[in-house]
Amino acid sequence: MQEMMQERGPNRPWGKYIYLPIIMIILFAFPLVNPPLFFLTLFFSVFMYVGLTESWNLLGGYTGYVSLGHIAFFSMGAYTTAVFMNRFGISPFATAILGGVFAALLAALVGYPVLRLKGAYFTISSLLLAVVMQLIFMNWEFVGSSTGLWYKLLPVSIEANRIIFYEVMLVVALVITLLVRWVEKSKFGAGLIAIREDEDVAKMMGINTPLLKMRAFILGAFFAGVVGGVYGYYMSYVHPEVTFNINTSLLILLMSFFGGCRTWTGPLLGAVVLSLANQLIVTFIGAEISRILYGLLLVIVIIFMPNGVIQYIKGAFVSEKG
Amino acid sequence: MSLSYIVESIISGILLGGIYALLSVGFGLTWGTMKVLNISHAVFAVLGAFVAYWFFVKAGVDPILSLPLMVVLLFLVGGVVYRLVIRPVTKAKDIIMASMVATFGVAIVVENLMSFFWRPDPRILKPSYTGSSIFIGEMAISKGPLIGFAMAILAIALLYWFLHHTYTGKGVQATWQNPMGAALAGVNPEHVSLITFGLSIASAGTAGVAMALIYAFYPSVQTVWTMFVFLVTIVGGVGSVIGTALAGLLIGFIIGVSAAFLPFVWVNVLLFAFLLVILLFKPEGLFGS
Amino acid sequence: MLEGVRVSKRFGGLKALTDFDFLVEKGQIVGLIGPNGSGKTTLFNVITGFYPSDSGKVLFKGKEITRCKPYEVSKLGISRTFQIVRPLLGLSVIDNITTAVLYGRDNIGSMAKGRGRALDLLKFVRLDVKKDVPAQSLVAAERKRLELARALAAKPEFLLLDETFSGLNDTEIADAIKLIFKIRDELNITIFLIEHVMKAVMGTCEKIFVMQYGVKLAEGKPEEVSKNPAVIEAYLGKKKHA
Repeated sequence: MQEMMQERGPNRPWGKYIYLPIIMIILFAFPLVNPPLFFLTLFFSVFMYVGLTESWNLLGGYTGYVSLGHIAFFSMGAYTTAVFMNRFGISPFATAILGGVFAALLAALVGYPVLRLKGAYFTISSLLLAVVMQLIFMNWEFVGSSTGLWYKLLPVSIEANRIIFYEVMLVVALVITLLVRWVEKSKFGAGLIAIREDEDVAKMMGINTPLLKMRAFILGAFFAGVVGGVYGYYMSYVHPEVTFNINTSLLILLMSFFGGCRTWTGPLLGAVVLSLANQLIVTFIGAEISRILYGLLLVIVIIFMPNGVIQYIKGAFVSEKG
Repeated sequence: MSLSYIVESIISGILLGGIYALLSVGFGLTWGTMKVLNISHAVFAVLGAFVAYWFFVKAGVDPILSLPLMVVLLFLVGGVVYRLVIRPVTKAKDIIMASMVATFGVAIVVENLMSFFWRPDPRILKPSYTGSSIFIGEMAISKGPLIGFAMAILAIALLYWFLHHTYTGKGVQATWQNPMGAALAGVNPEHVSLITFGLSIASAGTAGVAMALIYAFYPSVQTVWTMFVFLVTIVGGVGSVIGTALAGLLIGFIIGVSAAFLPFVWVNVLLFAFLLVILLFKPEGLFGS
Repeated sequence: MLEGVRVSKRFGGLKALTDFDFLVEKGQIVGLIGPNGSGKTTLFNVITGFYPSDSGKVLFKGKEITRCKPYEVSKLGISRTFQIVRPLLGLSVIDNITTAVLYGRDNIGSMAKGRGRALDLLKFVRLDVKKDVPAQSLVAAERKRLELARALAAKPEFLLLDETFSGLNDTEIADAIKLIFKIRDELNITIFLIEHVMKAVMGTCEKIFVMQYGVKLAEGKPEEVSKNPAVIEAYLGKKKHA
């Protein structure tokens, strides 16, 4: 579509891209101005959702295979770091990558059979995956079953704690976003997008569709696992009902669709706008109200703005002029 | 482990299976007639359970007596959801995906509305007659499941009768088999969709009441019930009431047999693994069209 | 080059293909004709791996490809177009071809190089002026050229064309015939085409297979086949005796 044509064109206006390093510097230096802890918590949540939506979009947006079970990988990562700290005393900052690896292994295990299913059946299976994992973890002694697992807190002040997690999650989100953007513009991305447009034609073009889908699925899972690994440590607690929350899946979906899931900028926009709003509503009004509003927003987005809010607004302007 | 224990378990399983069958029939109906994947179907079962619960607890009305009122209420709710969400979604390019995502939103909204207004604590319907059991030889079968099962079978039978022996129902049935042909024959698809959806939600509510007579319910249990809806629908295929009913009973049988030997939570995992296997090899279902 | 031995395919009770034999030699342009629903596209689908055949073999350059998946068939050097053209609508014209080039037999990794080759292909089919336009906005004849360019992007040695000439007017048909020969002569590609437009078939094919109800009715040079009574009957119905 239009955004993609602009991105791929040879005459990219470099001026536009000066903003990015400046914004990055501001974000990284933000804690130095001693902001209220609330903001660090808020932005942590934003960065987390950016990481989650971008990683989801590798499969969901680019190939069109909508997964409702992305939190299974997120939780896998969280539980990995929890278990390694709890049972072996290793710091999650060292094992977060391992969390990603375990999530990727899970994706590799279930991906091959599940990705052969079409559209709706795939989505149902992904939901199934998340629910089954929750059930299993609820009853598995080794991971704390219904009690959950705790992490040892970092031996630093609360302020330092928040700052450390802020910076770590910022780095994670940045790396994931850049990698997803790089994929989008690469041959791999072109193949994924072809799958979304017309999977049969993609096969005819010589694209090994099962392999590409698996790659996107596994890579997305890896990223989600790393995010989860850090998140678990931040919460210093994992529990099947908290960590495997279906509502998080809803939010990831909503953010990606809202922002527009065709390119890397969509989930970023959706994650920033909606997770900011979500945190504010949850803090000042209540979790349930927030979810109700988000459910409604999802319905509205799907019915009125299936290509994301940007396309919707653009469309509104065009029809006014025309 | 005595034989009577196993048989008891199997019977309990089948009784539960009948309720799962009712829970799933409505879902298959909307999928079959409108290509709409209503992921919020089970949340309305919970809603139905709550309606019966409030009538019972606040007004002392027995759940069986409040059933007709619950059905009407949920039918109306179904109508509203149809107009606001389902009908717009049927105009989308990819109805299945759009309906799935949109109804996912509806499910979250309704679940959290219930949670917000009525608190997420587990409730159960316990009219006096559910306390006792009937005895067959050495086996005890509690009355709660029996009545729930009876409710479910009756509702399925009513639905079947409606689809095959009433004018409107035949219109729905025809649309289910062949939407184009039905429209050409003069069936109003708009009318059919509205009625189908309303009935679907009302049947979900009835199933919810039946469930509530046996198990505790709470807003977030809808996710688990949704899994059972998928399970029964996919095993039974989306073709017919009878197929779904048989699938429900089969699932119930499997639950009964495995519950006799495994801890209950692993029964669920087993079932979902069974579902995954079916999805992978025969997405159209065992009894499907 | 491409050979089918007793290829059979049924769908439930319907026998779509029954013991169909065919041979297309390297460098030929061969036609496949027959009344609607006779199984021609099914044959193409079997050759390219979209449907598994029930029995029989398909061989390409002597090697059996019967059980190959579509992307494997593409990698081996066989490309196809679809009867109802299927451009990747959400992408621009050049992006459509670039993707096809990248995943073609040259296995190009660089986006820039891929785009360069794509532009060359678009020039070959005379669509280069519309390269940045969304594929959605192309008219039918242009979409066919896009489909053709996409099939060529994989650098095939063998091309399966499914009703490329349908819906074209006389000028467009003449141009397309020239293009077919250009493909065969300049790009060294063997062509097997399904067609209803007799003018195109007569104008391009050196050999024709006639199919009806999944069975081979006749085979031979165009002039012979057009005089074959069984073929005439298949198309026009039984002749009434005076």
